[in-house]
Amino acid sequence: MGVFVFLPLVLPLTAWPVARLAAQHLHPRTATRLLTALAAVMAVCSTVCLALLMVVGTAQLPGNPLPDGWSDPEVRAAVPYDEVAGRAAVPALLLVLAACTGTLRRHRRVRRRGHAALAGLPDTEVAVLPDGEPYAYALPGGPRGRVVVTTALLTHLQPAERRALFAHERAHLTARHHRYLLTVRLAARANPFLRPLRAAVAYTTERWADEAAAEAVGSRRAVARAIGRAALVSRGTPVPTLAGLAAPGPVPRRVAALLAPAPVTRAWPSAFTAVGLAAWTAAAGTAVSAMSSANSAVTLALVLRAATPL
Amino acid sequence: MTDDREPGRRDRRQRPRRRAQGELEGLVLAALREADGPATAGWVQERLGGDLAYTTVITILTRLLAKGAVTRERAGRSFAWTPVSDRAGLAAHRMRKVLDRESDREAVLASFVTSLDAGDERLLRELLERAGPEGAEGPEGREGED
Repeated sequence: MGVFVFLPLVLPLTAWPVARLAAQHLHPRTATRLLTALAAVMAVCSTVCLALLMVVGTAQLPGNPLPDGWSDPEVRAAVPYDEVAGRAAVPALLLVLAACTGTLRRHRRVRRRGHAALAGLPDTEVAVLPDGEPYAYALPGGPRGRVVVTTALLTHLQPAERRALFAHERAHLTARHHRYLLTVRLAARANPFLRPLRAAVAYTTERWADEAAAEAVGSRRAVARAIGRAALVSRGTPVPTLAGLAAPGPVPRRVAALLAPAPVTRAWPSAFTAVGLAAWTAAAGTAVSAMSSANSAVTLALVLRAATPL
Repeated sequence: MTDDREPGRRDRRQRPRRRAQGELEGLVLAALREADGPATAGWVQERLGGDLAYTTVITILTRLLAKGAVTRERAGRSFAWTPVSDRAGLAAHRMRKVLDRESDREAVLASFVTSLDAGDERLLRELLERAGPEGAEGPEGREGED
């Protein structure tokens, strides 16, 4: 199989253009689902590949409980640089496991602490906290998902904008956006090349909630103004960026998208435009990579199975 | 950082009845708010039906003091406690602590907006100007959705 064995580890790179195009041109709901599924498949293939490499590389080491057949010369011939790759795969796999466990634990901890902080308040969906710092977010899990808003933010918003804010946060909860976010986060831990997908999904879930809010309150402008105003009052902590190179951040892009007409559901751009051609090429490339990624992982697994003494 | 421990685990060790730390703080604060003027820890303990140890009440009051939810003044040999904030204020304080402590809370809490840099801010102001003043809702609200 030659170097093809290593493909699942680097093929996530091919998902970058499709992530960019999907975030810009697809309906945010479609984009979120597509990119999350893509990230999950690629992360699983990459991790399986890593585990198999580790097995091939280490089965011959003394004291290893794995079948000796797994590191027969025939099997090892399928893996180039088996000595190095096998040994490098062990720490890499451990790193992936530790990073994913850490992410899961942090996720649970924030949720638990968030709900614990609200203990003693009336059990309503929206929890308004008297705080001078303007912020708002959706807290998933617990007995029920809750929307947390501070009085500082509410005083800066008009009634229509408040409704937009609540609708936005509610959309996060009802569509369970935290699951998509957790999936892409774990995927990015499993293979760092998947990080751009994480950023893309973080953006598309916000856009999804914006669109849902616009539909719920019946005004795209009210949602746009709510986002703009909230961002301007809570701008306290500037992000360090290279000013000259910085592309518009997610907030202006969301506002601009809301001031434009609503995105059309399930419409891939036609293949006869420049954007469409690029999108289709990127999507096809990504699909091929995902499949060859899965193929490499399965082939390696089959080789090992054949080598297992019965 | 003793606060780092899970409240549930702590309760299992100290008390047969399990109650979250936040809940106890809320109870003590609520009892204190029912008093006319400053109250002593003993009064609070009595008010809560005596199912909390005196030392537990003192511990919780001290914790509330650290959070700025109560104040105290010396009255003879003990302290008299006065509530400053209510349950919502206490919850706000706790939530701030959760948010400040978690560096990558974005993973769990999809917050409404993220911070802006200078370029973003300028762009955003331009966009909002284009959106027009509030109340001037155009009929454009739902276009393209059918």
